[in-house]
Amino acid sequence: MTVRDDRGYRTALEAALTDGYRAAGLHASAGGSIVRVALQAPDGALRLESAAVEDGAVPTIVDLAPSLAWDEREAHDLHGVLFDGHEPLRPLVDHDLVLGHWTVPVHGDDAYQVAVGPIHAGVIESGHFRFHVVGDRILHLDARLFYKHRGLERAAEGSTLAEGARYVGRACAACAVANGLAYAHACEESLGLEPTPELARVRTVLLELERVWSHLNDIAAVCAGVGLAAGNTFFAALTERARRLNARLTGHRFLFGAVAVGGSSLELDAPSVAAAREELEGIGREAARGWRELQFNTSFQDRLPGIGVIAAEDVERLGTVGPAARAAGVAVDTRSATPRLAYEAFEPRVPERPEGDVRARLEQRALELEQSLDVLTTLLDGPIQPAAATPGSVESIVGAAVVESARGATLCVVERDGGRLERVRLRTGSYANWPSVAYAAADNLLPDFPLINKSFELCYACADR
Amino acid sequence: MLTLLRDLRRLRLDIALPRPERGRSLAIRHVDAGSCNGCEHELTLTSSPYCDLQRYGLGVVASPRHADVLLVTGPVTRRMRDPLLTAYQSMPEPRLVAALGDCALGCGLLGSPDELVGPVDALLPVDLRIPGCPPTPEGIATALLELVDCARTTSR
Repeated sequence: MTVRDDRGYRTALEAALTDGYRAAGLHASAGGSIVRVALQAPDGALRLESAAVEDGAVPTIVDLAPSLAWDEREAHDLHGVLFDGHEPLRPLVDHDLVLGHWTVPVHGDDAYQVAVGPIHAGVIESGHFRFHVVGDRILHLDARLFYKHRGLERAAEGSTLAEGARYVGRACAACAVANGLAYAHACEESLGLEPTPELARVRTVLLELERVWSHLNDIAAVCAGVGLAAGNTFFAALTERARRLNARLTGHRFLFGAVAVGGSSLELDAPSVAAAREELEGIGREAARGWRELQFNTSFQDRLPGIGVIAAEDVERLGTVGPAARAAGVAVDTRSATPRLAYEAFEPRVPERPEGDVRARLEQRALELEQSLDVLTTLLDGPIQPAAATPGSVESIVGAAVVESARGATLCVVERDGGRLERVRLRTGSYANWPSVAYAAADNLLPDFPLINKSFELCYACADR
Repeated sequence: MLTLLRDLRRLRLDIALPRPERGRSLAIRHVDAGSCNGCEHELTLTSSPYCDLQRYGLGVVASPRHADVLLVTGPVTRRMRDPLLTAYQSMPEPRLVAALGDCALGCGLLGSPDELVGPVDALLPVDLRIPGCPPTPEGIATALLELVDCARTTSR
């Protein structure tokens, strides 16, 4: 790989990575004339490095930060930027009809391909998987997403910062709060606003309510992936309870519209908050009961270990985030370094057997569910009042923020011109983790793929946008 | 595990759904044509113990070849247009189309106009409209159960 390195961009990036920064995302902006890389320090602070696009190209950084490969491919497909040294620069968002352009060549005796999707057999989002297999053994998987690409980021350009929240919020129902919060934080950082303790508290409550239903849903999904209808049914009922609670508290089962730029209008009196606490305790008790049953179901447990492994050493290279990274023993969680939210002394947990397989990812959900319920019990200690962010820091035209969604670190970068959005980039935990799903599938059996996929339970909607 | 399931039976009492004539059924094929995943999450919960649509003979089937109803979510993206039409063409007749959620119905579309080709009724004859952003599992279940009785008289 030859890399043109004449502008200091790569040098700065290399130095940051050596200092322990994480490559959090890359996007093209200003009509494809600038490329920006977001870097996150171990203490959570974000920094952007920019490079001017010259003759339509910038040097690639995938050799330094391989986790940004999708970002470069997206910037090429949507903004026409070339990345010198990124070869082959396969289409990601563009649906190239020539198979050889977007798949990795796999040759050998008896190797053939199985094409699945975009329409799947159950109630599943649209996406195409091309498995390269010998018999039932998966040699390689090329995932082609972006069937659901709605051009949300482009559509949001030119709108006010407040309107922009609609586009970001509707990117994905399962991550509406996390995505909305990443956007609100990025806007507020750009506007020089700081949340008051009450605003931080209500937003943390919303984010954890989202995680509670999401993790319950994910446990149900793994049961479905194994074919254990009883477990699936049990946790689906708890998911329903959690969504009903969301509706009682905010008027919406997916908490749509509950996060706004600059403040929160949510108001809950003491009895409502106490009732919510009680319901969450009930959900927690029932979830623990169901979880215990799953432990003693040997035919269920037999299917989980050693399947779809992401090892700790793969995490950095693949850019795996969230429960999937923690299940591999990498105890990194944005919640432990989020000054804008109310996570006092939050410590990321990892499962007892952090083997990065389906079992570990499932156990991680159960651990985090417990943690989320604890956080909620602590924060729901009194009425919730409307709150607004207050001026406190320096304004800038660019703002960036990372929030831990149920699927992992979600980055939002906002560039504005006065009160209007010039560019918004949303890089969700799902987007970060899709390459890990493809990687985890290799060397497993084709019939185990649904289970592997469900153990990550990523959204297609927030990757495709 | 069985004890847990016994407890779940009482949850059905929590929701009042219309009761279609006995001995009827509908096979549903879902196609996501660019939704935000909210309609999918709610549709999934129509089989939770609360609604438990299967007890009325309603279920999601794996192929449009087996389906009576094509249940479409999302504003229909440019890239999902062809797969959606292929699924419709693969269905046996008579067939019905249901548009699930506000995006599929064309209310409040978000996105770049050049990426969207919907709403669903711009491409397919829509027999059932289920509004909501997203509709609740109860709302989806009610609408589909009412369709069971209509489906008898409709043939396309």
